[in-house]
Amino acid sequence: MLLELKGIRKSFGGVAALRDGTLSVEAGEAHLLMGENGAGKSTLMKIAAGLLQPDGGEILWKGKKVRFRTPAEAAANGIAMVHQESLLARHLSVAENIFLGREERLPFGWVKRRQMIEKAARIIEEHHFPLRAEWMVDRLSPAGKQMVEICRAIQQGTNLLIFDEPTSSLSAAETDEVFRIVKTLKLQNAGVIYITHRLDELREVGDRVTVLRDGQTVHTDALSNLDLDRLIQLMVGREVASIYERKAIPPGEEILRVEGLNRKGVLRDISFSVRAGEIVGLAGLIGAGRTELCRALFGLDGVDSGEVKIAGKPVRVRSARQGVSAGLALIPEDRQRSGLAALLPISHNMTLASVDRISKLGFLNHAAERDISTDYIGRLRLKCSSARQAAGKLSGGNQQKVVIAKWLVRGARVFLFDEPTRGIDVGAKAEVFEVMDSLARSGAAILMVSSEMAELLQTADRILVMRQGRISGELPGHTTQEAIMRLAGFDAEVPGAAENDTPGETIQ
Amino acid sequence: MIQRLLPFVTLVALFIGLAIASPNFLSASNLSSVVRQTAVINIMALGMTLVIIAGGIDLSVGSILAVGGLFGTMSISHGASIPMGIMVGVLAGTVCGAANGAMVVGFRVNPFIVTLGTMGIFRGVALIASNGLPVHDLPPSFSFLGEGNLFHVPFVLWLLVLCGAGMHILLEHTRLGRYAFAMGSNNAAAVYAGVPVGFHTVAVYAIAGLLTGLAGMVEASRLLTGQPTAGLGYELSAIAAVVIGGGSLYGGEGSVVGTLVGAFIMGLLANGSDLLGTNPYWQQVVIGAAIIIAVTVDEFHKRRVRK
Repeated sequence: MLLELKGIRKSFGGVAALRDGTLSVEAGEAHLLMGENGAGKSTLMKIAAGLLQPDGGEILWKGKKVRFRTPAEAAANGIAMVHQESLLARHLSVAENIFLGREERLPFGWVKRRQMIEKAARIIEEHHFPLRAEWMVDRLSPAGKQMVEICRAIQQGTNLLIFDEPTSSLSAAETDEVFRIVKTLKLQNAGVIYITHRLDELREVGDRVTVLRDGQTVHTDALSNLDLDRLIQLMVGREVASIYERKAIPPGEEILRVEGLNRKGVLRDISFSVRAGEIVGLAGLIGAGRTELCRALFGLDGVDSGEVKIAGKPVRVRSARQGVSAGLALIPEDRQRSGLAALLPISHNMTLASVDRISKLGFLNHAAERDISTDYIGRLRLKCSSARQAAGKLSGGNQQKVVIAKWLVRGARVFLFDEPTRGIDVGAKAEVFEVMDSLARSGAAILMVSSEMAELLQTADRILVMRQGRISGELPGHTTQEAIMRLAGFDAEVPGAAENDTPGETIQ
Repeated sequence: MIQRLLPFVTLVALFIGLAIASPNFLSASNLSSVVRQTAVINIMALGMTLVIIAGGIDLSVGSILAVGGLFGTMSISHGASIPMGIMVGVLAGTVCGAANGAMVVGFRVNPFIVTLGTMGIFRGVALIASNGLPVHDLPPSFSFLGEGNLFHVPFVLWLLVLCGAGMHILLEHTRLGRYAFAMGSNNAAAVYAGVPVGFHTVAVYAIAGLLTGLAGMVEASRLLTGQPTAGLGYELSAIAAVVIGGGSLYGGEGSVVGTLVGAFIMGLLANGSDLLGTNPYWQQVVIGAAIIIAVTVDEFHKRRVRK
């Protein structure tokens, strides 16, 4: 056995995150770690990687009892972790981040800069990532940062590599590269622990699986002995309708119409429409311009030409404020950074876009606010102690519901969902889809960006596919992943594409 | 909860401790003087609370205090009535604050930098306008604002209660207050929700300037002088009061009660060291330590809550 974790316990401020974390991984094995959000997966892995100290339990490394007090101690044993959230130095280059803390040193603290960049470039090239060693990490998209994390971990984790949801921000091609990395590591007789929410990618990489629920290991087995329904059941501890299924409704009048939208270097001649009651999926690789399209429609980024009509009326949206007034709602990709005011109570978050409706002459009507938030907490089945609880203390799925509720309170008509289920567990995902469905039923027009194709196939009535800033085609909702991938330019993906499309970069 | 209560407990403990240690502490004249001494910082700190909650900072309040006090007293010495003079001082402070806000929004520059700059600019304006000389020819009745009593209680206490209540209502019961919390907690989320962030940022700094202008007039009234050099270093005391009272320099957190408690803790520390005859230089050390302790306790608590 390479690494054994036995009965690991860990509490934060009296709240038990882990009660009995047990997991073992062999050399040459890819071990999946699964469980709902808050089950303690990341905590357990951070303990294995030396980032957190356990309150109790045993860690055995190659049969010997150990304790990693710092990540450096773990790294000295060849253990490294690819983190879910980016732990990079933002103002350093890609190369500097890859070698941070492990630079080859010369006297007087000099660093061999050119050599480091060359080495980093070799690693990047080997994995076909659309990155350059000299780029500043600050300018990278979440996906780009993830790739840097991966490059960095590969450098250090020669014996055991831990991936914490590495693909949640990656496109299909990049995800495949991660799988290839895992396979290579296995061949090199290294151990791999892989945390994921994406049920469709399990079979690609895993040998065995350990399921955590409420801080306890509930099951460990060979993956071939478990089917999907059984896995979901183990994770949530109850039977659930295995995968969400939506019944389409006959669409109503046209709510959103976009004609010839252009933004230099980002969006090219975008035209489409969404009708009331429709959920239109937006597929594409990272950097294809999906998020940028949402931002432009909502007024966060300017456009060079094109026309947008809402319910038949042409609208000019030049700021988020005008977007909101025009009846648009954006549920952003990055919930923590731009969706949620984490310190503020749930009720304040819910009414943030509608403060004018709960106030008179600038004074707030707290009773009205309380009624509204209580109403939406019930409607969305939000799990919280009260409407006054800080929104940041909720689980990912419930946070997302709060962000959505903000727009329900506002009464928006066009909803732009950008990766609405990222970092959300299985049970909460189905609930988010239910909310979208009931929105559609009440006559809203929905545009949904998602990198999980299975998700698009289940929920969308139609799917638009973007490629290098253009809409490269439209598919019916019951299409196949292969058809989407073909339009997205999946097969044409080459490393050189970085030069004209720079998918690693975002326009922020 | 403990970290929320800590400032209150500290204040009460300090109060009881001083009452036991010094027989003069509880005398009406001593308590009035504590109130008068802390009123200026208190009123400024109320404005600072709003700015800090909105995610900003204002380093220029010491200079704004001088501008407000100076312009107000200059207009009185040029024949304006006392209420009119106070209005001029308040207005001058408001204009300075609005200028801060407008530059933060317009230039998209960090408020720390903008107000570091205006700290010098406003001070320079006060020195230029007065030619560096204090305004002395003020009617004795002007001292009522800072030194007078109303119903046997210092007038500034009434003023402070009024400003405190007003700020509390503004923070908890108005749209502006709600937007201030939202902008401070997550500015991007506020923008995405369609909040007119620019307008409200200017409003927040203008209100802080208004209160600072008023504090400037109180300071001038207490000394019966308009000093272009008034308020040097006051910005740090105002920020300290907010932070000791539970405000977060990251924005989104803070309260009127907390700030008042924070300012009175510093006031009692100063008063206590006067009464007990300890070396006044130690005051600086104790107040500095109080700031670090308050923030450390707060951070420790947050780290435990965070996963």
